[in-house]
Amino acid sequence: MVYLNNAATTYPKPQCVAEAHTAALCSPPEGQFRSSGQGTGKDVFTCCRENLGRLFGIGSPERIYFTSGATDSLNQLFHGLERKGKKILVTQTEHNSVFRPLLNGIADGIELEIVPCDKYGWVNPEAFEERITDETGLFVLNHCSNVTGMVQEAALFGEIAKRHGVLFLLDASQSAGCIPVDCDEWYVDALVFTGHKGLFGSQGTGGYFLREGVKMKPYRYGGTGNDSNKLVYKDNEYEYEVGTLNGHGLRALNAGTEYILERGVKKIEEEEQRLMELLYNGLAELNGVTVYGEKARNKGPVLSMNIAGLRPSELAYILQNGYETVVRAGLHCAPLIHQALGTERYGTVRVSISALTKRQEAERFLEIMEEIAVAVGR
Amino acid sequence: MKILEITASRERCAEAGWYAYDFILGQPMDDGFIEALRPLGSFLYMKMLRKPFFKVESEHFLLKGIRGDAFFRMAVHGDYPEELKKVEKFVMDSVNA
Repeated sequence: MVYLNNAATTYPKPQCVAEAHTAALCSPPEGQFRSSGQGTGKDVFTCCRENLGRLFGIGSPERIYFTSGATDSLNQLFHGLERKGKKILVTQTEHNSVFRPLLNGIADGIELEIVPCDKYGWVNPEAFEERITDETGLFVLNHCSNVTGMVQEAALFGEIAKRHGVLFLLDASQSAGCIPVDCDEWYVDALVFTGHKGLFGSQGTGGYFLREGVKMKPYRYGGTGNDSNKLVYKDNEYEYEVGTLNGHGLRALNAGTEYILERGVKKIEEEEQRLMELLYNGLAELNGVTVYGEKARNKGPVLSMNIAGLRPSELAYILQNGYETVVRAGLHCAPLIHQALGTERYGTVRVSISALTKRQEAERFLEIMEEIAVAVGR
Repeated sequence: MKILEITASRERCAEAGWYAYDFILGQPMDDGFIEALRPLGSFLYMKMLRKPFFKVESEHFLLKGIRGDAFFRMAVHGDYPEELKKVEKFVMDSVNA
């Protein structure tokens, strides 16, 4: 099998992740402050927060909260973040995990405005700045497009947001583990990440970082193992992790994060870019193939393409059933970016790699695509 | 052709407003079966692929599959669910009958 659907969920996982998950399932559960058999070492939750803090440039990793993934994180943040104004700016590249909560009432009384992107998925920071008004309370930026692999200039956006007093929420679902992120340097007020993509964790893990001083009212309440006699929270002293955490999954996420830190995210980024260059160059040589991006501009581990004569879903079907090659077809849950690409009717075929994708797999994919392109062209 | 089962596809249809179903057949599809689908709509058959791919497209549905597989997929527009039954009847009555 050639697996090139890593933007959905990475596969394979590093051996250390599988071992950590198995070990967690075969061990007594982590205490999460509730049990007395904790010992003196750091628990996995603390270790994982600290490792994620190192990876994301967060000096206060205790402000990282675990959730079931980026969608859960975004819903919590949109629901409860205290903003200075009702206007929320989001980019055209966002995923439905941003659009749907905001357009279906997760946050009361908001006014949504979309900052456009170009045909590569690039968002001009100036276009963001010129839309800021006194009513703008929050800006949401998709760091790396899950459609075109465009990596936005997060540092520039962060600087603009800070200058205007706008909360800056960075969605690193697609970039975490693949592209350097520096929350403290980039003035990120809230960072959203998921565990099952570039961080090599299991599905159902993820979280968010909330900068100290940024206020948020939770939408979920429950047991935390702390101060159980306190039934009503006062003075915004909320707890954001309630109920039993996915301790098994977080052991795997921690192992995945350690793997990334050990290999080095900058090195991973460079290796992935080399592999993506190979794909861009190879696909460019095929008759009838359109790639929605350029290797010099779109630097993330994802690309979108189409082939004349076949719908994306048909090409994906041929790849899956004829060649055991897994890609993804359609709008990729990011409908608005397709208006900029001109692919809003049927979408694209998305090809995405991970730090564990081998060069031979990319080469094999290009061979298969050549065979299909020749067949379609006849 | 005997149809063993028609199941809603595990994969959600990529295109908005369309629904996908898998036709599970009693035997693998050969050239004769595939060619017999031609009257249902515009027909594309890529025989030169290592595993030949076909699609049949009409205004309200699309069939696609690979020769040698014992299943094909049908995507139906949500406004025309009756097309599913029509194709089922066509396959049972007309194809390799």
